[in-house]
Amino acid sequence: MQNPYEVIPAEIYEIIQESPLIRTLKFKPKKPIPFKTGQFIEVGIPGIGEGPFTPSSSHYIVDDMDVTIMKTGFLTEHIHKLQVGDLICIRGPFGSNYPLEKFKGKDVLILGGGCGLAPLRSLFLTMLHDHKDYNSITFLAGAKTPKDCIYKDEVTEWRKYDNVRFIRAVDEVPYGEHWEEDVCLVTKLLQKIDMKPDGNPAIVCGPPVMMKFGTYDLLNYGFKEENLYLSMEKKMYCGFGQCRHCVIGGYYACKDGPVFTYSMIKNEEAIWD
Amino acid sequence: MLVNILSFHNFLLKLRDSYHSFNQIIIPYRARSDDKNSFYFNEIKNEDHFRLNYYRTVDPVKILFYLFREKVYPTKNNHAKRIIIGVKACDLKALLLLDKALLQSGFIDPAYKYWRDNTLLISSDCDYLHETCSCNLLNGHPYAENGFDLNLSVIEDNYLIQLGSERSQEFIELMKKEINVAESTASDLEIVNANRKKVFNQLIEKNSDLKHHENFSAFRKVDHKIWEEVSKECVGCGACTNICPTCYCLILNDESKGNEFIKVRSYDSCQWNGYARVAGGGTPRPKMTERFRNRYLCKFDYMQKNFGEFGCTGCGRCTEACTAKIDFRKVVKTVSLMAQEVN
Ligand SMILES: Cc1cc2nc3c(=O)[nH]c(=O)nc-3n(C[C@H](O)[C@H](O)[C@H](O)COP(=O)(O)OP(=O)(O)OC[C@H]3O[C@@H](n4cnc5c(N)ncnc54)[C@H](O)[C@@H]3O)c2cc1C
Ligand code: SF4
Ligand code: SF4
Ligand code: FES
Repeated sequence: MQNPYEVIPAEIYEIIQESPLIRTLKFKPKKPIPFKTGQFIEVGIPGIGEGPFTPSSSHYIVDDMDVTIMKTGFLTEHIHKLQVGDLICIRGPFGSNYPLEKFKGKDVLILGGGCGLAPLRSLFLTMLHDHKDYNSITFLAGAKTPKDCIYKDEVTEWRKYDNVRFIRAVDEVPYGEHWEEDVCLVTKLLQKIDMKPDGNPAIVCGPPVMMKFGTYDLLNYGFKEENLYLSMEKKMYCGFGQCRHCVIGGYYACKDGPVFTYSMIKNEEAIWD
Repeated sequence: MLVNILSFHNFLLKLRDSYHSFNQIIIPYRARSDDKNSFYFNEIKNEDHFRLNYYRTVDPVKILFYLFREKVYPTKNNHAKRIIIGVKACDLKALLLLDKALLQSGFIDPAYKYWRDNTLLISSDCDYLHETCSCNLLNGHPYAENGFDLNLSVIEDNYLIQLGSERSQEFIELMKKEINVAESTASDLEIVNANRKKVFNQLIEKNSDLKHHENFSAFRKVDHKIWEEVSKECVGCGACTNICPTCYCLILNDESKGNEFIKVRSYDSCQWNGYARVAGGGTPRPKMTERFRNRYLCKFDYMQKNFGEFGCTGCGRCTEACTAKIDFRKVVKTVSLMAQEVN
């Protein structure tokens, strides 16, 4: 019998400070943790606690993984103190994934902001692996200020593909910071991209307000409810449908989600809170 | 099978004292001599004060299978068996729901499985009713129909024993060695059935004012003002969820020391404000009314979707335990009347 609370130790081999509050940990689990992009894992520090995080690396890489983590409280503060060589503990993977087979041959839109870019980077990198399978990929990424932009070093690489667009926007540019790309809410970028929404998928992840208004904007733009994929963030302990903290109506965000179509959950309560 | 009640009780005491594969026997006792109405599970003692045909214990049998605080990793590896006697139909029903949640949902809670695998369950019919007993309002009966290894029904000085599983064989064999076991007849069964019917009718009679409509899926459409009204006395203590046999919401804690990884789970309550709070402080149910309402929706709507049955057995414990004296049955009735109107 497999104990779902059993952890797999993993050693951190590289840390990238992406922004003042966000860092990416690269680690090697003692045994590989194969996952499908969109699924999440529990990342813990022994004696401190654990929390749900989405791998931000491609699911084609199995021997090591990345997680991109924002400092928001007790656990994540400790995660931000970790150093190369430290051990973390992993459980999972858990939950639903992005249905790539439904995206094949389509014009795929990815919309995200803040730390919501973590699962989207995983999706994006996984799709880049077979980018020819998709008609086009458009990735709209938002951040508060230029300093808050993450994955800075990878942008040039991401912009090398013919059928791939990576467009960034910041909400504002504080005095003294430098920025040559868009300055607007990330959802406003929709007005620039000239896409045909019908039948094409849009994938959204970000802070709750961004998810909410992003979803409404995409619906207005013409995307269909059943083609809108949301990664829902709810309080989670177990990760596999037994602590009930993540329940959204009759669904578990950890088991039926975290990836939901909007049509699945639109009638449930308080989905954005 | 038919056994004399006194001999059976003596057999249990002997079973405790002799060497055999069951190392613990748990049975309901009156809490104190001055409190004749409350029963608690306890390890069997010498005095023969136990009565098996009363109503449910104060604490649900859940607390013996899903402990208030329990290590889930690493797990126990001894296999000490125990017997729990005097379990009621409502608690068996709750265990079957916990089985669905913790054993049959694709993942297995190791500690719950351990207790489940190593416990022989002996249920007994309710011949007496507690004021809050209301299983009849939720398709239940005051006697067990399934989920037991053995069931006992009182017929005068005897227990009629019914077998519910293969696992009961070991116990039966031990028993046959010690005490006289007679074959039961069709007329014994008739007596039991007549008695069951009588008690069930008493229950229906007792709860006739508390009947609700079967429109649970419409509960969420009921105006929030109604929920505010029915929850206005609630202080949010969480007594109701902690004592509920079907509530199993857990908090997971990492208590690792040195090189040893330890995970411990303990009860949580959706009535508490921090329950669903996420990073940044957001919570889907900031108001007490919303959390109060959540318990009812969870029991009658969400669990119905998750497990194909209600998360309430009608045991009445939440009504008995409520600090604010809120009657769960009355709330369900009020809300169901309102749901009837919006539907
Ligand atoms: C499916 C999923 C994927 C996520 N992916 C990422 C990611 O890739 N990067 C990232 O930075 N954040 C992610 N989050 C959010 C992240 O889990 C929380 O920000 C983090 O657990 C909160 O840490 P803290 O230090 O503020 O918690 P504390 O203040 O230490 O809170 C204690 C515990 O509460 C729980 N908890 C608190 N907030 C949340 C929350 N929002 N969701 C679930 N449990 C919580 C955790 O178990 C945590 O250990 C994800 C959340 C979910 C549900
Ligand atoms: S909700 Fe109340 S009556 Fe129903 S099972 Fe739980 S404690 Fe018993
Ligand atoms: S026991 Fe009563 S007062 Fe306490 S949380 Fe439950 S309903 Fe509210
Ligand atoms: S995280 Fe425990 S049920 Fe979803």
